[in-house]
Amino acid sequence: MSGIDRVDRSRVPQASRVQVVKFPPFIRHRLPCGLTVVAARLPRVPLVTMELVLQGGAQHDPAGRHGLATLVAGMLDEGTARRDMNTLAASVERAGSYLTSSANWDASFVQTGGLAAHWREGLSTLAEVALEPTFPAVEFERLRRQRQAELIGRRDQPDALAEEHFTRLLFARTAYDHMLVGDLESLEAITRDDVTSFYSAHLAADDAALVAAGDLDPEAVMRVAGEIFAHWPAATRHAPPRVEPRAPEGVSIRLVDRPQAAQTELRIGHAGISRLDPDRSVLRVLNSLLGGKFTSRINLNLRERHGYTYGASSRFVERFGRGPFVVSCAVSSEHAGAATREVLGELNRLREELVSDEELDDARNYLLGVFPYALQTADDLVDKLEDLVVYGLPNDDFERHLHNMMAVTKEDILASAQRHLHPEKAYIVAVGPEAALTPQFDGIGTILPTGS
Amino acid sequence: MPATSVTPEIPFREYRLANGLRLVLHRDRTLPLVAINLWYHVGSRHELPGRTGLAHLFEHMLFQGSEHVGTNDHFRYVQQVGGVANGSTWYDRTNYHETLPAQHLDLGLWLESDRMGFLLPALTQEKLDNQRDVVMNERRQRVDNQPYGRAFERLHELLYAPGHPYRWPVIGSMEDIAAATLDEVRDFFRVYYSPDNAVLTLAGDFDLSEAQDRVEAWFGDLATGPVRPVLATPPAAIEGERRDEISDRVQLPRVYLAWEGPSYGTDAWYAGSLLCVALGSGKSSPLYSDLVLGRQLAKDVSAFIFPTELGATTAIVATARPGVSAADLEHALDEHIERAAAAELPGPDFERARNQLLRSAFAGIETVESKAEQLSQFATYFGNPGFLQRELSAYAETSPEAARQFAKRYWRRDRRTALTVVPETRP
Repeated sequence: MSGIDRVDRSRVPQASRVQVVKFPPFIRHRLPCGLTVVAARLPRVPLVTMELVLQGGAQHDPAGRHGLATLVAGMLDEGTARRDMNTLAASVERAGSYLTSSANWDASFVQTGGLAAHWREGLSTLAEVALEPTFPAVEFERLRRQRQAELIGRRDQPDALAEEHFTRLLFARTAYDHMLVGDLESLEAITRDDVTSFYSAHLAADDAALVAAGDLDPEAVMRVAGEIFAHWPAATRHAPPRVEPRAPEGVSIRLVDRPQAAQTELRIGHAGISRLDPDRSVLRVLNSLLGGKFTSRINLNLRERHGYTYGASSRFVERFGRGPFVVSCAVSSEHAGAATREVLGELNRLREELVSDEELDDARNYLLGVFPYALQTADDLVDKLEDLVVYGLPNDDFERHLHNMMAVTKEDILASAQRHLHPEKAYIVAVGPEAALTPQFDGIGTILPTGS
Repeated sequence: MPATSVTPEIPFREYRLANGLRLVLHRDRTLPLVAINLWYHVGSRHELPGRTGLAHLFEHMLFQGSEHVGTNDHFRYVQQVGGVANGSTWYDRTNYHETLPAQHLDLGLWLESDRMGFLLPALTQEKLDNQRDVVMNERRQRVDNQPYGRAFERLHELLYAPGHPYRWPVIGSMEDIAAATLDEVRDFFRVYYSPDNAVLTLAGDFDLSEAQDRVEAWFGDLATGPVRPVLATPPAAIEGERRDEISDRVQLPRVYLAWEGPSYGTDAWYAGSLLCVALGSGKSSPLYSDLVLGRQLAKDVSAFIFPTELGATTAIVATARPGVSAADLEHALDEHIERAAAAELPGPDFERARNQLLRSAFAGIETVESKAEQLSQFATYFGNPGFLQRELSAYAETSPEAARQFAKRYWRRDRRTALTVVPETRP
């Protein structure tokens, strides 16, 4: 024991303000074949991540064929003109690499990652699965059954149930009215012909992009991509469908009965914004202080003040069209009504009162400060860069967003809250013991009849 | 033959303060960040039956303020400068970490040293009650309200003999959490949350000697803890096969086959770990390619071994496809287990496993957070922050024959626990 305290523990150590970290340099070029290459060098660790972004996602799922886009994406690496699925998987995995394919609402993705020494093989593999898939009937059948098994497995997952019911209520009769994976019936209805026609119509287009990051030379990636993808087929881009969900008359509540559930899963929200909405940066700051971080109003209220939950959060999910704004939490069932009132109260408070200077400052500094954490890995950079090509954003989108967030004022927050938060017309989904829940929601809104 | 001549490594400097605190420093100036990572060598295995869940409850209490830090201010101070913070609890250890803009190193050190040295004056019944409610909701959310959520607790109850500290769940039982008194919580803190039972790692953008001085300034005068009690040696593994079937709100049966394996860090552990990756990781692995893709008996399958100190749970877990019975699935798993014990797996499976492990090792040194976490982990368990090199060479030197020996010695039918979770019959 030194006996001498050399530090003053009674005061918060101060330091200079957060420095704004710049997004690392990257190249972005459109090759003569139509493919756009976006690449960033991150040389610290000998790993690379490369992703093909194919324009065409679940927003184009045809009626009665929900889940088609994700099924098509899943089929890309199930066999090509060169190799069957087993041979392909074995050779990728033996090199220590991975290969995955997926789709979201806006686009489809094929991604590979591995040791930097294998980057050329990685690029060839991406070209092979994107341009020469054969969609073998036997693998199609298997994958469709696998997806159905996944869906069956989800029936007892309260969070998945809540998400599904919330999606169906909020997006009824729009392109977003289903789960990405589809449902048992739609998967049953999809044929291999649906898969090949969706692929030809939406994925094999000339406006695809290659996004690469890691221990690589961006110029070399561009050169080799030019050779490998020289014969990218031409096709037309399909405009995203218009998504305008209808707001309910008042608060609409769906109770999903799980009689012996130990807890209640809650979703509270309504339509949010598009990725292209000009209010995006203001809403990022707004959401951060509302429910986007541990010290947000909603989490401190529900968790720290009331002990109702292990954690509560809110977010604006951004897509081409308006994605959901949703507050999510799992609460002790006897507090589901009280928790809902608290959440609606927090939304109202933000519409009625200016936030404090300190709260605004905290939220902005938080968002600026954590920005570089998501720039550390090759995967991180690919995640960020893919947004530029999916949504056709300018190269300085990240800088602009940071700049805009720094400029947000209390008045901006209030105006945005009034424009984008609508607690009086919210959808509420509660998955839990219905008998115990029903009386708690009395007076909060209209409980929708079961099965409606 | 590795595809690259570079090997993953985390250069470090190590110091020990007079009060016993072990300090590990790793400099990385790529971004203006610092990761602060503090491991206490206390986990659920240091609890006593009837008072389970204390270590985890403590993780919550450590975010409730200390003498100079107000309730909820820990997260507030960290987040308002653009930092992130969290903690986690496991069988053998508890960890606390912050990542901050580099210039805020002092803030992190202040917060961590204050709760190490000055927690008790701020510990109140009210805070304890509130966090007890939060923890009970955490348990409901993660365990009680999740399909298959209680399977692991039952598995460990069957797998470990009475008196073995891995027999109870890390999060504890509802009864014990409800019963914990303020005095018990205080005593637990006094015994285990002292500088001589902790490793502090800093990774990021700082000057080495300056960082060492700052740590000395904040932590140097914290008192060494009392002598920690010698815990009873865990009883020997149970002989004979144990079986159970539990019903749950699930749609598809799931089969768990589990064994008590060797401790983390031993040659046998690495043989087991390599075997698990070779057998079950990736679409082209024997388990996945046969059970999920080929015969289509399973929706998913995995094989693993926990990195724990007093032996380690090693298990193979698979969920049935609709229409497939637990018994058929178990039988198919048995075939793979017997094969792994009878003959070496094919060379390509090991090549895949080694290269996958190499890739994960590189992925593990991409961020300052994960580098700090590994240095703390190795220093805590093996007294050597540089144990990563030993780990990588253990993987490189493990032969297919050693992996076969592992299967033969540990994955024995007469030592195993077989648990199936089946759908409850509903009216």
